[in-house]
Amino acid sequence: MSLRARIRDGDAEAFEALFEEMERPVFSHAFRLTGDWSAAEDVLSLTFLEAWRLRRRIDADGGSLRPWVLGIATNVARNLRRAARRYEAALARMPRSLPVPDFSDEIVGRIDAAEQLAAIRQAFGSLRRQEQEVFALCVWSGLDHAEAAQALGVAVGTVRSRLSRARKKLEKLAVERQRASGWRQVKGDHDSVVRSVGEENR
Amino acid sequence: MNKGEREALAGLLPFEAEPRLPNDRRRLLKEFVMSEIRRPAGRPRRRPPRPALLASALALGVAAAVGVPVLLGGGTPAYAVSRNADGTLTITINQAKDPEPLEATLRGMGVNAVVDYIPVGKRCSPQPRSTSFLSRQEAQHPADGRPFLIWPSDEPGFRIDPAAVKPGQTAVLEFSVSADERTAGIWANISNGPVAPCTLVDSDEAPLGPPPGWEG
Repeated sequence: MSLRARIRDGDAEAFEALFEEMERPVFSHAFRLTGDWSAAEDVLSLTFLEAWRLRRRIDADGGSLRPWVLGIATNVARNLRRAARRYEAALARMPRSLPVPDFSDEIVGRIDAAEQLAAIRQAFGSLRRQEQEVFALCVWSGLDHAEAAQALGVAVGTVRSRLSRARKKLEKLAVERQRASGWRQVKGDHDSVVRSVGEENR
Repeated sequence: MNKGEREALAGLLPFEAEPRLPNDRRRLLKEFVMSEIRRPAGRPRRRPPRPALLASALALGVAAAVGVPVLLGGGTPAYAVSRNADGTLTITINQAKDPEPLEATLRGMGVNAVVDYIPVGKRCSPQPRSTSFLSRQEAQHPADGRPFLIWPSDEPGFRIDPAAVKPGQTAVLEFSVSADERTAGIWANISNGPVAPCTLVDSDEAPLGPPPGWEG
C-alpha cells in the first residue's frame, strides 16, 4: 500500500515518515512566510495536526504529498490565529523553547548579512499576500506551477499571473535599489576600508 | 517553470541561508505531534514511555572537556561541559537524571547557575521562580551584545556565555527531559535576585520557564 493510502487510512507510522520527510521544507516555508522563528514552529506543528485531521481527503493515487502538505502550511501561516484556536488545547501542551531567537539572529551573525536579510524581508513584504505565497511555493520551495496550483487550490493560470506580477514588482524594486545604492556604494566602500584597518590595529 | 526561470526569480530575493530547526527541537516537536495524533479525542493521557535511544557518544569527541563528568555504566559521561575559544561553554547532556553534578561543575567553572531537569508531564513550581528575571528583550539583546544562551544551540549541546552572568546574578537553566532521559529543550534566563527551588508538579502545560505573559 502506498504511503498516501496508509496515511489516509490512519497509519501513524506512515504519518511519522511524512513528518520526517516534510519537516524541513515545511519549517523553511513557514519561516519565510512569517519571518518569525516561534510562529514558524507553531505553523510546523499545526500543519501536521491539520494534515492528520484532513488525511481522509488524500487521494490514494498520486505522486508526492509535498504540494498537499505545503498547501496546508500556507493556509495555516495565513490563518495562524484561527488554526491556533482550533488546536488550543494541543498548543498548550506544545513544548516551548525560550528564549525564542529573532528573525535575523539565528541564521546570520554578520551585520551585512542581517542587512541583506532585512532588505529581502522588506521587498517580500511589498508583495501582496497571494503573490508572496506563490513566490514562496514556486521559487523557494521548488514546486512547479501545477503543484503550486494544487497546493493553493487555484488554477494554474492564476499561479502564473501571480508569479509574473511578483516578478515585475521585484524587478522594479531591484532597479530602484540599485539606483539608490549606486551612490552610497562608493562612499560605503571607502568607509569600510578605513574601519577594517582600525580594527586590525586594536 | 524551468530552471532558468526559477533562478532568475530566486535572484530577486536571494534568501541564501535555509532556516533549520536544531535536531533536538525537531525531535521534540515530532514527539509532540505524534503524541497528539495518538491521543484519543477529548481524553488526555500521558505519553507511553518510549524505547531508549542510543546514548550519544558525541560528547566524548569534545576536545577540551573540562567538566567533571559523572560516568554512566558504559563509561559515557552523563554530561560534559567544554570551554570554547571565545569563552563560551558548551553543555552536552547524555543522561538527564541528576542535575546537581552539572550545577556544581558550572559553579566550579565560575557560572553561578541553578540547573533543573524537567521530565515529561511535569513543570517547576513556582513559576516564575524569580521576581527579577531579565525581560526577554534584556535576555536576548543585552547592551554588551553577549546573551547568556546562544541560539541556535550547538549540535548536540547547548552553548552559554558565562560573561552574561554579572556579579550578584544567578543563571537559571531548565532542561526538558524525554522519557528516555535525553534532554530535548532548554529554557534559560538570568535573575537579579533570589531564585526559588524547583518543586516538580504534574502539568499539562509547557514544561519550561514561566507561563506565557509572565512579563506582564
